Amino acid sequence: MTDLTNTVKTTDRADVTDTASRDKRGASSIRMQGLRKQFGRDSVALAGVDLDINAGEFFTLLGPSGCGKTTLLRILAGLEEADDGQLTIGGKDVIDMPPHRRSVNTVFQSYALFPHLSVRDNLAFGLRMRGEPAAERDRKVAEVAEFIKLGSLVERRVDQLSGGQKQRIALARALVCEPDVLLLDEPLSALDAGLRGQLQVELQRLQKRLGVTFVFVTHDQDEAMVMSDRIAVLDSGIIQQVGTPSEIYEHPANAFVARFMGHDNLFAITASESNWVDTGLGRLQLDPAEQRDTPDGWLLIRPETLELGGDVPADYNRLEGTVEERLYRGSRIEYRLTVNDHPLTAVAGNLGQRIHDVGDRVTIGICPEDLVRVAA
Amino acid sequence: MRKRTLKRGLTAFWWLTLIFLYLPLAVVVLFSFNAANSAARLTGFSLRWYHQLLGNEQIITAFGNTLILATCSSVIALAIGCLIGYGMYRHRHRKLGWLIVLIYLPIVLPDIVFGISEMAFFVQFHRLTGLLQPGLGTMVIAHVTFQIPFVALIVYSRFVGLDPSLFEAAKDLYATPLKRVIHFMLPTIKPALISAFFLSFTLSVDDFVISFFTAGPESATLPIYIWSAIKKGVTPEINAIATLMIGAVALAAVISLAFNRQRKV
Repeated sequence: MTDLTNTVKTTDRADVTDTASRDKRGASSIRMQGLRKQFGRDSVALAGVDLDINAGEFFTLLGPSGCGKTTLLRILAGLEEADDGQLTIGGKDVIDMPPHRRSVNTVFQSYALFPHLSVRDNLAFGLRMRGEPAAERDRKVAEVAEFIKLGSLVERRVDQLSGGQKQRIALARALVCEPDVLLLDEPLSALDAGLRGQLQVELQRLQKRLGVTFVFVTHDQDEAMVMSDRIAVLDSGIIQQVGTPSEIYEHPANAFVARFMGHDNLFAITASESNWVDTGLGRLQLDPAEQRDTPDGWLLIRPETLELGGDVPADYNRLEGTVEERLYRGSRIEYRLTVNDHPLTAVAGNLGQRIHDVGDRVTIGICPEDLVRVAA
Repeated sequence: MRKRTLKRGLTAFWWLTLIFLYLPLAVVVLFSFNAANSAARLTGFSLRWYHQLLGNEQIITAFGNTLILATCSSVIALAIGCLIGYGMYRHRHRKLGWLIVLIYLPIVLPDIVFGISEMAFFVQFHRLTGLLQPGLGTMVIAHVTFQIPFVALIVYSRFVGLDPSLFEAAKDLYATPLKRVIHFMLPTIKPALISAFFLSFTLSVDDFVISFFTAGPESATLPIYIWSAIKKGVTPEINAIATLMIGAVALAAVISLAFNRQRKV
């Protein structure tokens, strides 16, 4: 894999000199300003999106279905027209440019391989439409087929491929055009879990080696965290938060982002001072850096930061709870607790310590620095 | 046990149906090779009626007319129907999309009503403008009219069966609108187009009623010739023409079916 990626990269470089007009092929930044899109009278897909994506970044648009992430991707591709707003790719205004003139390629969710063409002709389609000479075309197609390790399949018909193979061909068909930006619309959603995990790693590695800007759309927060340099979380056509995976997971900007990232332990704050908050769990000390302008909002407790049983250090918050449910997940154990009649989830690594039973009373230690305040 | 009886009964029913459908055709084919000039007895195998056909100028002309009419009308219907089929696909989500059912009208209208309407129109049109004298020209127009809905429906159903992302993938991969037509749409629907052409061709060759009302004195087709010849009685010559037509139409139908099947792959 490593050797092959390097080959493609060097030839990539060689092409840069051929087309000097295009600066820094394979790495374009994207700037979106005030993008709006409405379908029909009252279905707002995008309600003014401002977003900057850096050149060479693996950027993910994350959100539930109907949040506008796919619409945004389609506007980048030129397949959808924005009602309003600005869009530049690599510094060039492309808002009125039709898709066939944008140096942007898409990997579609359904792969969209042409059924009337062989794998080879599918791979060559973009180059052929762009009018590249046949010899050049053949060389690039052979290279990319080798690169995705499906060189033996080029004569096959598309309907003779498995899902994973189709996915790779779709990816190769887009990459062989050497776009400045590659758009990926939930490309892994149709694959089974094992293959998906494998391709997540491969895609991320590939992006790092090619240095192309990737914009990836998904509704799966784990997938987004594994692969991305930065993530934008969308809901109702509005960007809720932009940040690195750890920023978004550990410091979600609001309750929506927190819930979408899989956090269950959110408690309404009823009163607060600089170093404490009152919630249904009781009064909890927290780091003064977590102070907010507004007194209300939510307190987020990440389940993996809770320490169950044993001695609680003096500067920790100490709670008492009852184990209601225990889910054994092998590498870790998930406890559903109740504290003052409020449900609280804790996750403990399976390190060989005592496993608590359902019905046990346990002490819960929480480091003040692990508590995060989240806006409403 | 009962199951087996039922199965046998159904098999017998299937054979009866086949006999019912094909026996009359078989009789025509059989008697076209009859040596005797009689529909009452078979005296031996002979190709004399086929030879006689070749010498009959009227039949040769009618055969030529049929071919010209079927080819011209099928080509024109293919071009127009293809565009309509694509239009139906592109605008299938429109509010007034249901208006497209109007295209089915020629399919459900009785041929005789359709034929008389066409005739009345052509006669009036000719009276007012001096154009469109009844003849092969008017027949082509009439045939195109009833062929279009079949072509449009076949093309439409092919487009509907495609992944809509394919159209976007073609755009995304640098294909200009013209190149999308040449390199994506036409090759993708090619089996449907071939199928539609042969279906149109068969419909045209088969048609008697509409041809009869729109024909001119010089433009008799084979069905029209047979109809007029048959007033003098069924001759073995007619059997021979019928046999040739059965063969030609069956071939076209099989080709149409084969290509229509292929698109599902």
